[in-house]
Amino acid sequence: MIKLLHVEDDADIREIAKMALELSGEFEVVQCDCGEAALERVADFAPDVLLLDMMMPGMTGRQTLERMRENPALADVPAIFMTARAQNSELNELRSIGATEVISKPFDPMSLADQIKAAIS
Amino acid sequence: MPKIKFDGRTIAAFSAGLFLAVAWYTLSGAVLSGWPAEVFPVIGAVIIAALMSAFAVRKPATAIQHIGDVSLAQQLRLLKTHTMVNVVDTQNLLVEVNDLLLEATGYSRDELIGQPVSKLYANDGTSFADQIRAKLCSKEGWQGETLLRRRDGTICITQTTVTPLLDSDGKWIGSISARTDITKTVELIAERDIGLTLHELRDDVWIVDEKTETLKYMNRAAKNRFGWTPTSYTDITLTQMAQEHDCKAILDACAALKANKETFIKLEAHIFGTKFDVSTKWLHPNTPNGRFLIMLNDISDRMAEERKQADFISMVSHELRSPLTSIKGAMGLLLSRAAGELSPKAEGLLEIAHRNADRLVLIINDILDMEKISSGRLDFDIKEFDVSEMVKEAVRSNSAMQQRSGMNIRCVGVDAPHIVETDPNRIIQVLINLLSNATKFSKPGDTVEVMIESLASGVRVSVRDEGSGIPEKDQHKLFQRFADMTNSDRVAKGGTGLGLSICKAIVESLGGTIGFESREGEGATFMFTLPTRISDKVQEPVRPMLRSVG
Repeated sequence: MIKLLHVEDDADIREIAKMALELSGEFEVVQCDCGEAALERVADFAPDVLLLDMMMPGMTGRQTLERMRENPALADVPAIFMTARAQNSELNELRSIGATEVISKPFDPMSLADQIKAAIS
Repeated sequence: MPKIKFDGRTIAAFSAGLFLAVAWYTLSGAVLSGWPAEVFPVIGAVIIAALMSAFAVRKPATAIQHIGDVSLAQQLRLLKTHTMVNVVDTQNLLVEVNDLLLEATGYSRDELIGQPVSKLYANDGTSFADQIRAKLCSKEGWQGETLLRRRDGTICITQTTVTPLLDSDGKWIGSISARTDITKTVELIAERDIGLTLHELRDDVWIVDEKTETLKYMNRAAKNRFGWTPTSYTDITLTQMAQEHDCKAILDACAALKANKETFIKLEAHIFGTKFDVSTKWLHPNTPNGRFLIMLNDISDRMAEERKQADFISMVSHELRSPLTSIKGAMGLLLSRAAGELSPKAEGLLEIAHRNADRLVLIINDILDMEKISSGRLDFDIKEFDVSEMVKEAVRSNSAMQQRSGMNIRCVGVDAPHIVETDPNRIIQVLINLLSNATKFSKPGDTVEVMIESLASGVRVSVRDEGSGIPEKDQHKLFQRFADMTNSDRVAKGGTGLGLSICKAIVESLGGTIGFESREGEGATFMFTLPTRISDKVQEPVRPMLRSVG
């Protein structure tokens, strides 16, 4: 099972992503609604992959990742961003701070699991 | 009989005459004897008195005592040397013209005498001459400005007075016109007015000498920017300005005009700490009067407003994506039986909803792209990529729509690689758009052909359909924004009307060209080219190229 930490402020999107990933039977999904909560959650849930929403109130996905990277245990964990703002310049910037993949919203729930697996393989 | 004026000169003449007459009578009476002594003293005295009287009352021949004494001939001579004069008969035919008129108009006397006076007038000369003639018929004069057309076609502006000529019985027999050339005066007034207008313009205006590149003129706005007096700027060079006042863009614009032998250039530049539209016009190039007319339009407010508007569109469009993610995701999961089996009717209805959610995503994407194009924020991720792979990807993306419509797709030339330097995602977007259009306008059983051809310096990709074609009257607006032919058609075909204008912006920004061939009833072929290498082209010109769209 792939341990995935999903950080997303929109409850509906969280629910759909969780259902889509669990449907594949290959993911153990833990979800948080903000970056601050995610930073606390990683203390007892060592994720194999991070799935981060970009635009969130409070800490953005980018700031959340930067804080997580300060923890040596999370320094190399693959990070995948989800964003509704998929400008090339922004995508390149996300990659430069360690994003393994960027998934555009709206995403296809039926191919989400495959996209994540391909990104971390 | 002239009136005698008894001034000092007259009295002296009378006195001298009386004295001489008495002296003659006395002396000749003493000298002569006999009958001559009876006759000559008397006759001589009378003659002397008469001559002196005549001298006393005569007017001096060489001096004019009153202006009214100038003869009519003299006045006419003066008039003829100062003004253009012409005389016409009652039919408005020229019967006399003076040398000045001939000199000013370039005609010979033979070319004018006997001709209608309207020959001299610019524009609708006949009608104008008739208007004046109507006044003269009623024995009234006329005064005003007249435009004469010289023999070489140029215009001469005159201040004219026309007076009717009457015979001794008071009958109208023609008219005489006196004209003063005021062309120069009018031009000077016009120049002064233009100068005043330039001076009061809100935009900064500079005039720079072509050779020395020194400032020759600055309007009020330009001078105020530097706090300069009316003359303190003269003879400052553009190079000095560029060094001291952060306006190198203006120096560069003038240099570019000279280098490219062009007469006009417009660019956006950040100078004096703000954003300007800089328009530079080269007047009278390579002549002693060569000048650069430079106009600076402060666009910082406009840019800020545009940016606010673009940010708002961007924010709204992005905000729409979050609920759409949930809607599409939920329907996608339902359709994949994540929540259990569906009845055929429920599945059909969900498919409709899902399809329309997809359409909504495409519309939002189009609006976002158009906003990026308008604001020059459409960016590219350039890499070497195989066009054949792009075509295959686009065909795969279009497969669901293709299956629904019952048409076929044939790919030609995709077996061999065609490597170009481009933004593959953007080109796939163009291909999906063209394929989607071709599919929309195809009937079940039709074939859409996608073909890749190698060119000397790149590739050409064409998408040909067997649809209804594009009416000739609509072809010119095909690449404009919102160009779908009618609202009802747009609804029926599900387009935003932005697709082709976005394709054009993308292809041109990537250094290619886009076009189409179509006849109504015979389908349409859309084709675009891509250069093998585009790095040099894409760096800078993206924004100007994009702004020309739609």
